[in-house]
Amino acid sequence: MSNYFYVSPEQLIKDRAEFAQKGIARGRSIVGAIYNKGVVLVAENPSASLNKISEVYDRIAFAGVGKYNEFDRLREAGIRWADGTGYTYSREDVDARALANYYAQYLGDMFTEGQKPLEVEILIAQLGSKLRPTKLYRIAYEGTISDEPHFVVLGGDAETIKERFAQSAPELEALDATLKHAVAALAGPDRTIPVQELEVGILEDRGGRRTFRRLSVDEVSGLLD
Amino acid sequence: MGLPLFSAHDDPGPSFIDYAERNGIVRTGASSEVHVHATTVIALRYATGVVMVGDRQATGNYIASRDVRKIEPADRFTGLAISGSAARGIELLRLTQLSFEHYEKMTDRSLSLEGKANYLSPIIQRNNLSTPLLVLPLLAGWDRNAEQGRVFEYDGAGGCYERSDFATIGSGSPFAEGTLRLGFRAEMSLEEALELGALALYEAGDNDPSTGGPDFVRRIFPMMVVIDAEGFRELELDDVEQRFLAISERRTQSGGVAGGALR
Repeated sequence: MSNYFYVSPEQLIKDRAEFAQKGIARGRSIVGAIYNKGVVLVAENPSASLNKISEVYDRIAFAGVGKYNEFDRLREAGIRWADGTGYTYSREDVDARALANYYAQYLGDMFTEGQKPLEVEILIAQLGSKLRPTKLYRIAYEGTISDEPHFVVLGGDAETIKERFAQSAPELEALDATLKHAVAALAGPDRTIPVQELEVGILEDRGGRRTFRRLSVDEVSGLLD
Repeated sequence: MGLPLFSAHDDPGPSFIDYAERNGIVRTGASSEVHVHATTVIALRYATGVVMVGDRQATGNYIASRDVRKIEPADRFTGLAISGSAARGIELLRLTQLSFEHYEKMTDRSLSLEGKANYLSPIIQRNNLSTPLLVLPLLAGWDRNAEQGRVFEYDGAGGCYERSDFATIGSGSPFAEGTLRLGFRAEMSLEEALELGALALYEAGDNDPSTGGPDFVRRIFPMMVVIDAEGFRELELDDVEQRFLAISERRTQSGGVAGGALR
């Protein structure tokens, strides 16, 4: 029989939070911002195939930072949930808030009951319609969910990037200006991020049902010029 | 429905059906609904794509509906048509459309045309061997790797067969097929393919009571679809009307004798 030592709940939570924060801070950041016609998600990602940003549903996108295998599993679960809900009821019944709540509950459960907390932070973006507003839901590693009015920064040195972006882009702008400010905020004053290492996805109405689109390297450099 | 998380050893992967069956979103099993069916849908290849033509009538013991859409885009480059049980056919359409989109979102790439054709086989097999409500689809699309239009037909047990010329489904098939056999040539132009497709459907509507021909009174016409490198597009109502009007006038001039003016 093994021996168990008493650890106070405060200490336990603190240890787990530190563990998760460390894992998340190691990765690079993502900025999600609302612009005048939609939502843009910008990730610094040296890999062209291991995506951090993804389509979930007609008007919903996903972004994750931290451990790839952990947030990718959450991404897949989100797509399954959305497609299953839309098939069972109707496409218009798929709501980002409901999905964000499921993520929050799961991350919260894993934080308190799991072998280890998940080292991820995720963003669920919803493009508004007659039924629902445009929203950015940020879900932290311990299940905290927040609904951000204008922009969100996940992972890495989120606080610094957040300040930089808030100063440069205090109001809603067009896509090109928003993207420029997001990239500048991610890079900071001392470096530039090569366009090839930017992963950019947008939610914007183009007359069709599906609103998510990845921007190619050419499109991104065009917008940044 | 909670968050559908799976551990690595039992993950259903990008297949929506595998996931949906496991979670009870779709159920397979027999039922006893009324059999509403009969149809004619044609798919034929031409030099740079495929043309699909389908009638609009749903038939039970009487005409149940005159404006059914039996051809739907399964995705941007693929058309899917159904014949047989309406209830099962519509479910098959929804499930297929969703499955292709689901795969694309899960893996960030779209299925190959052959992959889409093969995906349907077990669905048809399961449906047709478990209920009397048979469904037979027809899949046609633009293959972006091979850069050509391709046509796939199925047998009742789910067997998938590629056709190098044309395929037909539904009760009006013998008449449509006869017309296509006489008129088909390899490497036809789009215009020739549309004309032949419309004529084949006209013949099916003329001879098969369960296939709806052109309805000039209600202005309901068979659906005509083109799928090429640009994707899936449906012909405008006026365009389709003109094509069937031309055939109808020729037939009137020949005194209603089929073959009096074949083309």
